[in-house]
Amino acid sequence: MKTLERVHLHAAVAAAAVAIVALPAIAQDYPSRTVEIIHQYGPGGGTDRFIRAISAPMQDATGESFVPISITGGGGVPAYVTFLQRPANGYTLVSISPDDVINHALGRIDLSTVKPLVRIQYDQGLLLVSKDSDLKSIDDVLAAEAATPGGLKVGVTGSAGFDDALVGLFNESAGIELGTVPFGAAEMVSNTLGGHLDMMYEEYGATRGLIESGDLIPLLLFSDERLAELPDVPTAKELGYDVTMGRWRGFGIKPDTDAADVETLVALFRDAAADEGYKKVEADSALQYRSEFIGPEEFQTFLDEEIKTYTKIMNQLGY
Amino acid sequence: MLDSFASAAGYMVGNPMSFLLIIFSVAWGIMFGAVPGLTGIVGVALLIPFTFAFDPTEGMLLLGGVYVGSTFGGSISAILFNTPGSPEAACTSLDGYPMAKRGEAGKALGYALASSAVGGIFGTLVLMFAAPPLARLALQFGPAEYFALAILGITAIASIGGGSLIKGLIAGLLGLAVALIGLDPLTGVARFTFGNLMLLTGVSFIAAIIGIFALAEVLQRFADGPQESESMPQVSTKLPSMAEFLATKATLIRSSVIGTVIGALPGVGATTAAFISYSEAFRWSKHPELFGKGSPEGIVAPESGNNAAVGGSMIPLLALGIPGSATTAVMIGGLTIHGIVPGPMLMQNNSDLVYSVFIGMLLANVLMLIFGLRAARLFALVLKAPYQLVGPAIVVLCMTGVFALNNNVSDVAIMLVFGAVGFFLKCYGLPVASFIIGLVLGPIAEVSLRQGLILADYELMTMVARPIAGTLLAFAALSLVYGLWGQLRRPPSNRQTTAEPKTT
Repeated sequence: MKTLERVHLHAAVAAAAVAIVALPAIAQDYPSRTVEIIHQYGPGGGTDRFIRAISAPMQDATGESFVPISITGGGGVPAYVTFLQRPANGYTLVSISPDDVINHALGRIDLSTVKPLVRIQYDQGLLLVSKDSDLKSIDDVLAAEAATPGGLKVGVTGSAGFDDALVGLFNESAGIELGTVPFGAAEMVSNTLGGHLDMMYEEYGATRGLIESGDLIPLLLFSDERLAELPDVPTAKELGYDVTMGRWRGFGIKPDTDAADVETLVALFRDAAADEGYKKVEADSALQYRSEFIGPEEFQTFLDEEIKTYTKIMNQLGY
Repeated sequence: MLDSFASAAGYMVGNPMSFLLIIFSVAWGIMFGAVPGLTGIVGVALLIPFTFAFDPTEGMLLLGGVYVGSTFGGSISAILFNTPGSPEAACTSLDGYPMAKRGEAGKALGYALASSAVGGIFGTLVLMFAAPPLARLALQFGPAEYFALAILGITAIASIGGGSLIKGLIAGLLGLAVALIGLDPLTGVARFTFGNLMLLTGVSFIAAIIGIFALAEVLQRFADGPQESESMPQVSTKLPSMAEFLATKATLIRSSVIGTVIGALPGVGATTAAFISYSEAFRWSKHPELFGKGSPEGIVAPESGNNAAVGGSMIPLLALGIPGSATTAVMIGGLTIHGIVPGPMLMQNNSDLVYSVFIGMLLANVLMLIFGLRAARLFALVLKAPYQLVGPAIVVLCMTGVFALNNNVSDVAIMLVFGAVGFFLKCYGLPVASFIIGLVLGPIAEVSLRQGLILADYELMTMVARPIAGTLLAFAALSLVYGLWGQLRRPPSNRQTTAEPKTT
């Protein structure tokens, strides 16, 4: 791809320029200034909040800031391209999630240009309806779909991203044709509450307030086991639909970053993920069940597996 | 409710720190609003780590004050330098700068400030007393209603330039065309990006408006060469009189209402509110011919609209836990980090916090007015500096500001391209207002039309035959027909003379 070559060239030029400027700083300890974490989601969204939460203990430990940089739009490609343009000096990280794996599977980006660093969160999603909906259980959904296939519309965030893949996989597994309509995260909720959408797909953390107030009713959970917070919500798996994938959140760094710096970062993340303050934030969103800290080697293996899985899914779904 | 107010007021009196925080945050917000490239969202996001040091209520007061201040702050640079400091102030440039340019900078700033405060206080009062019902009203707005709202604004593009129907349409459609660049929002297919990966995200709105307004103006001034009145000798720092300000009361009230309602809709915020307020002010004005040439209504409408939208966008945040705008989305993030679950229970479970924020936002608006009235006269003096010095400084400021947005050189390139676009729009007398309205409302119209069509199984009539959407669309159609009729009835000679909104 010509464009990617150009990106590499830019990256090389930028790296050279920074290397010259940064020479006197090499002797100092890493990190000695703000580390930026580029992500493709909106400020205030799940990933942005995750980065702020995990970086709080890291700031306490190092005295340096770790700040999320949100570059939205373009299906996440501009965020990744911006990361590629940054020098390999350890001061720019990128968030990695299934959306990036899907972009890789669709040929939009090349994940071999990033070194997986750590994976920390592993989320689980829900199908939710408004309390005023006629759909009271997942059986109602299946029955309605059996009567008029494709009649129900599910709100999702992003286009041709993780949510689409998950709903598509559930459709295949259950033999139904739920249609997806992409919305912004906030509009998706208001359109579901207002009855414009039949259902929406979202994680527990983002919808907890509305679930607790009874405005949103979760019908189905995509995970291996039921959540202690939602004991009455069945999993797709127990109903015989093997769809358990969830959104995970991790970080990557430029492959030629100094090995000692990478080690420092991994250790910082490991401590932060075990930090009590962070653990509490995780538990607030019911993220403690599937989240497991894994380091660079394991994350690379996991990522390779995910790439295979999602390439297969996206092919099946006709993308 | 009164108990909650008393309790919140008690909290604030017992906690003088909160007043200091409000003063600081309003000043911080005005600064972030005024500097091009630094927006209210950045201002709020940067302060989030600092809120860890305070309790959640203090943290929210801080963020709310920044939000209020930044929404006004953008208008300072928009009026003085034709450089909207933040997207919601883009509309203010349209009439604020022409007024400042004819020597009435103090007046233009005064109008912006007073209408900002009125709009802001109106929005906050609605938030205080009618948040739950308004949040329910906002839920009635599905894709069909968003589409109708955007169309209502877009129908103004043909007439708003103040002259030729054809030129208004050309500029408006160009704006709509530019809005198509980027990843297709529903299918994820790249459109008009010519293989450039950075263009996938679309044309950065902030970069585009800074180019179109600020850079194009600098180019224009230098292309015109030195003028004898180069340093604008008689810069008046006189503020508008109370009578002059009250003459705009109809616009003020209408825009405050529009701003609050649009602010309450998730996903659209102060920028959309400003533009729809502006196009409605134009539609209802007794002097539409003055728009774009320094009309007081043209300043009052967007400024009261965008500041009312601040209170409006807090409505779904506090009543439902869903953000009404990008800035409130960041605030939600701040709340969650403090362990507060945003949702319908917030007003009951955290009433001290919610009511303190109400009081804090009112105070912030009043403080903004007090500080601003003093500062406006000083700011206006900047225009006494010779343009040979101011112009290059504006270019430098725009370049660094746009780069600072995302630390991205491609945004600077977009700004430069749109500087040229703005220059040529002016050369050919194409109204910038129409172009920008197309650029702002085009994406909303497109996305909501397509979402609505999917939901209605591609039956257009099913989609639009709904009470709110149908009414808005019927109104848009009527005003379009009326406007066309007015245009055609006018003798051709008359049409020609008003067609050139030359700025020099």
